[in-house]
Amino acid sequence: MEGILDVPKPRITCGMLSQYIGRPVCFVGRVEKVHPTGKTFTVSDGEGKIATVELVCVLDEELSGVVEVVGMVSNKGAIMASTYNVLREDKGIPFDLELYAEALKVIHEFPQHYPFEVAASG
Amino acid sequence: MTKLSEGAIEALSNGTGGNDAVLQLVNIRKIDGGSGLPRFRVMMSDGLHTLSSFMLSTQLNFMAEENRLAPNCVCILKKHVTNILKDKRRVVIILEMEVIKSAEDVAGRIGEPTPYTEGQGKGSQLAPNPENRPPLQQQNRNEGEWNKGFNRDFGKKAPSAMPSTPGDNSKVVPIASLNPYQSKWTIRARVTNKSSIRTWSNSRGDGKLFSMEIVDESGEIRVTGFNQEVDKFFSLVEVGKVYYVSKGSLKIANKQYTSVKNDYEMTLNGESSIIPCEDDCDVPVMQCDFVSIGDLENREKDAIVDVIGVCKSVDEVTRLTTKSNREVSKRTLNLMDMSGKLVTVTLWGEEAEKFEASGQPIVAIKGAKLSDFGGRSLSASFSSTLMINPDIPEAYKLRGWYDKEGHAMDGQSLTEVKGSGGGLTNWKTLSDVKTEHLGHGDKADYYTCIATIVYLRKENCLYQACPSQECNKKVVDQHNGMFRCEKCDKEFPNFKYRLILSANIADYADNQWVTCFQESAEAILGQNAAYLGQLKDSNEAAFDEVFQQANFNTFVFRSRVKLETYNDESRIKATVMDVKPVDHKDYSKRLIMNIRKLAAQ
Repeated sequence: MEGILDVPKPRITCGMLSQYIGRPVCFVGRVEKVHPTGKTFTVSDGEGKIATVELVCVLDEELSGVVEVVGMVSNKGAIMASTYNVLREDKGIPFDLELYAEALKVIHEFPQHYPFEVAASG
Repeated sequence: MTKLSEGAIEALSNGTGGNDAVLQLVNIRKIDGGSGLPRFRVMMSDGLHTLSSFMLSTQLNFMAEENRLAPNCVCILKKHVTNILKDKRRVVIILEMEVIKSAEDVAGRIGEPTPYTEGQGKGSQLAPNPENRPPLQQQNRNEGEWNKGFNRDFGKKAPSAMPSTPGDNSKVVPIASLNPYQSKWTIRARVTNKSSIRTWSNSRGDGKLFSMEIVDESGEIRVTGFNQEVDKFFSLVEVGKVYYVSKGSLKIANKQYTSVKNDYEMTLNGESSIIPCEDDCDVPVMQCDFVSIGDLENREKDAIVDVIGVCKSVDEVTRLTTKSNREVSKRTLNLMDMSGKLVTVTLWGEEAEKFEASGQPIVAIKGAKLSDFGGRSLSASFSSTLMINPDIPEAYKLRGWYDKEGHAMDGQSLTEVKGSGGGLTNWKTLSDVKTEHLGHGDKADYYTCIATIVYLRKENCLYQACPSQECNKKVVDQHNGMFRCEKCDKEFPNFKYRLILSANIADYADNQWVTCFQESAEAILGQNAAYLGQLKDSNEAAFDEVFQQANFNTFVFRSRVKLETYNDESRIKATVMDVKPVDHKDYSKRLIMNIRKLAAQ
């Protein structure tokens, strides 16, 4: 878990999952369904596609709304979450997931202008 | 041997037929059209007769220029129109023709045609097997005279001896065939749009004009009438009705004023006539080229467009006074279409007053003007036509869509509603202000930008102002406990603090010094002037803290900039009219749009 906090975690959408297998990513999506065991749940991204998030520890509360998940992408294209945080909908401006997806498209289309992965030099 | 349609030449010459006639092209000749466009005159034969009074319509010029129409080729005359010149001679205008056998495949002249005479005696007898040369010379003579007659026609000043009632000697021709080279024609068309009367007064005199657009099966054209023609025709013509129009003058269209698709436009003159037509079912109702509201963002400002949408909401009629001190009514409504986008449309004058908004009608506007006011918005100018619930397929499609899904949508507006009305929301960066020399013109320029405060001048940001409600003038301290206001010509025992804040704001491109008055200063500092005045006198540390906290905040600034000259020195002065917190969603959308636009270039 500690390792993942120091490295760059590109923000991705479902369509890009397959390109980031084995790498740490940051995924923002709306919670769709929580598995009864509480160990996994599905999220939808700004384009409506679904991804699965697997947790290390069981959920101790009901999860809903938009969440930001940080974790590694598994071989099966699921996100093994190291941490997550809920973007509260009751405060401030509601998060616009579609607009976020549009922005991500731009960031990935022009990586030369968005050099996020320039790692914090040691 | 290809069979020609014998008798067709006679029929064409008499105006009694000739449709789909198979003819042989005997000769083709280029004539200088006078307006830059070349015209081609052809001599055609049906095996029996030849006739040289054929003109190629300009849309077929390419056939001549590509050498498809070589002497001896055989063609089918698919579409034509016969016009009658003043001297009773007929000219056949070829609108559509197909070459069925090219010149190389044809052995020579088919048959032994003789020139068809119409009792004018111009064509002298030709030898039965004419070669190209002799008839050509003959033609030259004929042509010279024919051309002269032609040119005489072109002079529209000649009074017409012919009555211009339709069905008399003028057949109805399609609008698509109208050109400046014939003046005796009649068209039958429906008025789709009529402007109101506009008057003008300049150094050359005054006048009035009105314009309208008319449409028939073949196309549309814009018609303008000036001065006397306004009196003659304006009240006669009604939108939606069909009329026979004859003898207007044609000239190359000025595309700046209209979205009508025609290379030419018509001006009514002393000889023109407009007569109502009863039988109108064949004439189409409207020719519109609707632009989707979502697409308006991609169009240039000042473009003339046709739009159709559901009127989602409409505001009350307001009245305002123009610069020439005229009062005019104005009303805005919001149109939404299947793109899910919403645009604000402004109506003026009578249209604004008469507009019936009940029940979210389908509204179509032909010839609306696109502006960049508030991003993108539309205005119904004096030459636009407004149609409510028009009887066209697009309207029914919209109605169906709206009833099913559209009514539930909020629609994303292309027009930003600005609280401080009358301003133009144009986004600029701080470097744009310098490179575009904003404020250098006669009038002040207004612009909107997103910038961060990098410096606030806390010295002399407060002044003592007249305590009267309406007056903000600086008062003079009499040093006897009284303060004098020169404007009100009164003395007061007190004053009110007001803010004039000098600040430096910056964005990625540049920085700028601006002045913020009371409301904007209070918004930036987050405190009101009275409290700040108190702090300044009592608790300097707290006063400083306010400025510290206010620094490096980012806002949306709406500013006014003007070049001011003071003692031989000219400087740009920028004043903040309004400060607002950044709407990140809106900002993101705009950035994404700008990025996409840049990427597409």
